Amino acid sequence: MFTGWGAEVLGCWGAGVLAAALVTLSATPAAAQWLPEQPITFAGGHVVLGAEVSGTFGADDPGFYNYTSYEFSALRNFRLGVSAEVRANDYIQVLGEVRLDQGRVLEMYGLFVRVRPWPKRRFDLQAGRIPPTFGAMTRSAYGSGNLLIGQPLAYQYLTSIRPDALPASSDDLLRMRGRGWRSNFPVGNTAPGPGLPMVNTSRWDTGVQAHGVVHMFEWSGSVSTGSLSDPRLRDNNRGRQLAGRLVARPHTSLQLGASASRGAWLNRSLEDEVDNAADVSRARQVAVGGDAEFSVGRVLVRGEVIRSTWNIPGARAPIVDGGLIATSTLLEGRYKVAPGFYLALRGDRIDFSEIRGTLVRNTWDADTWRVEAGAGYSVTRNITLKGAWQRNRRDGGRVQHDDLIAAQVVYWF
Amino acid sequence: MAPLWRARDLPPPRFALRRTSPSRVGLGRSRALVGVAPAALLGVLLLFPPVTTSEASPTSAVSASPTRPGVSAVARSAKVEAPSPTAAAQGAAGTGIRGRLDIRRLARPAERRPDVAAAGAPGPRDLNDLRRGVVYLESAPRAAFDEREPGRAVMDQRNERFVPHVLAVMVGTVVDFPNNDRTYHNVFSLSRAQRFDLGRYAAGRSKAVRMDRPGVVRVFCDIHSHMNAFVLVFNHPFFSVTDLDGRYSLPAVPPGTYTVIGWYEGEARATRSVVVPPAGWAEADLVVP
Repeated sequence: MFTGWGAEVLGCWGAGVLAAALVTLSATPAAAQWLPEQPITFAGGHVVLGAEVSGTFGADDPGFYNYTSYEFSALRNFRLGVSAEVRANDYIQVLGEVRLDQGRVLEMYGLFVRVRPWPKRRFDLQAGRIPPTFGAMTRSAYGSGNLLIGQPLAYQYLTSIRPDALPASSDDLLRMRGRGWRSNFPVGNTAPGPGLPMVNTSRWDTGVQAHGVVHMFEWSGSVSTGSLSDPRLRDNNRGRQLAGRLVARPHTSLQLGASASRGAWLNRSLEDEVDNAADVSRARQVAVGGDAEFSVGRVLVRGEVIRSTWNIPGARAPIVDGGLIATSTLLEGRYKVAPGFYLALRGDRIDFSEIRGTLVRNTWDADTWRVEAGAGYSVTRNITLKGAWQRNRRDGGRVQHDDLIAAQVVYWF
Repeated sequence: MAPLWRARDLPPPRFALRRTSPSRVGLGRSRALVGVAPAALLGVLLLFPPVTTSEASPTSAVSASPTRPGVSAVARSAKVEAPSPTAAAQGAAGTGIRGRLDIRRLARPAERRPDVAAAGAPGPRDLNDLRRGVVYLESAPRAAFDEREPGRAVMDQRNERFVPHVLAVMVGTVVDFPNNDRTYHNVFSLSRAQRFDLGRYAAGRSKAVRMDRPGVVRVFCDIHSHMNAFVLVFNHPFFSVTDLDGRYSLPAVPPGTYTVIGWYEGEARATRSVVVPPAGWAEADLVVP
């Protein structure tokens, strides 16, 4: 892991080199044939490898609107993702994905075994570092699945709260409004660090997931170690997260989804820092979400609303009364103008609930809005160039508005 | 739009489908565009003329040419595109070239990408039938380029597969793409020979594209990355999609010396010179290693 803008510049350089290489390769027929078009198979089709390479280079983001929990800007990144599926037989498969971010941060993003007790039925059990259960955008927030370049706020924007540090009072929380990229609190880990997004897609949780399809309904449920904001490889609080999702497809053009999750989110190390340790172990993140996708012809429209509540123990007055609530609303659309060319637009916002401080009553974090417009052009089927303009606004913090431009090249097979 | 070949007063032209890989064909326009500034690129794209497409229910498509998957669909397209009487008159009755395209190593069907982010395994799908190739004349007699009534062909979508996997048609043919699957599909091609995007349409509906230029048209689905197919568009009628045993016949080829090409999965892989006698068939087997 690394921090600092210098490393981001390195990632930006990597992205630039990637873009130049891909465009050059795709422009040269012989080289274009060298790039794989389809997944690579081994062992008689039992092992399938796919990959996605994306280079994103964008303007400086002094307001940290696009900062991720890995402490780099989503608009400045070079990412290589290699996914593999080992099909032992009809009953058991092993799937995994390794990601390299910024050209140097390597992580096993997902690794799980999939068991299909009845191969002819649409029912699976997955165990290990499993894909997210909650939400519609968790599977399409980045790279080729993303219509634009920036990630949806709910899945990327860092709020000020942290799993390893607590505000002693609501005043501490109000002081950190708009500073989620580097917040600090007096209880627990006092070193500055990144806060939590509402839904973290930078890494996956560890647990067991069941999935099934019945007629027009698709459902999934999971039990895992982390929380929606803080998925974990190793447990840090002896708590479990329960998550579920139900998708209905009443028509092929329409998909409606609902998600819910509930999980312990505070680090056990905080139990020693507060008067009542049980308050830490009882603290939960509870989230519900609804989403819809409609597509027909050249048009695709998606929308999603998520409401997340974090319970936190209070140490001293004025204490945080009730939970901290964040509500995100997203609407995005794509229109295909010509073969291989599309325009896209996204409107996105997060609103936070109000708390009472000693002197003022205000939202516990600064409400944030984002509008992003962009275009994508497919050089070939699996090489896409994107350009986007982003307007960010925030009701607090040091930088309260920021207009950014970014470009991205994505190659996959 | 590139003009169709006319050869009335010219020596027999060489056919447009040469030893060109599909990606090379598909990248032609892109290559030209990549060098310019992004803004100019987008501007040029916006000026692309709309593709000639039409929408119809599968019922109407079926009534024009019955929709059946697999062998029948290929056979039907071959029938629709059979050489016209004008071309046939140039060759003696019962003459032509026939033989077998021996594909020694079948290509593997495209696999689904490992979808690690999916909550579960995807549903079942059919695999492409990769036992067929296409045999055609590299150069055709002049009369082969006479104008004909445009035909109609069908490339179906069933169980996440294009059927047939290889379709060979003449320039001007309208190809219907009915969706007879359970899910949405989005047929598109970025090939230089024909660039189109039919958008998303549901099961029970069909859209069509008129193939206006000769070349290899690679067809994909924007939603299912493992779905792919080829439409080979010829500007003469001397081509044949092989049967499951690899057999082909090019009837009514006038006497003379020709180069026969065997095409398989995106590439011209076998070439052979053949002399067609004044009477009878010339036999020409080709091997795709």
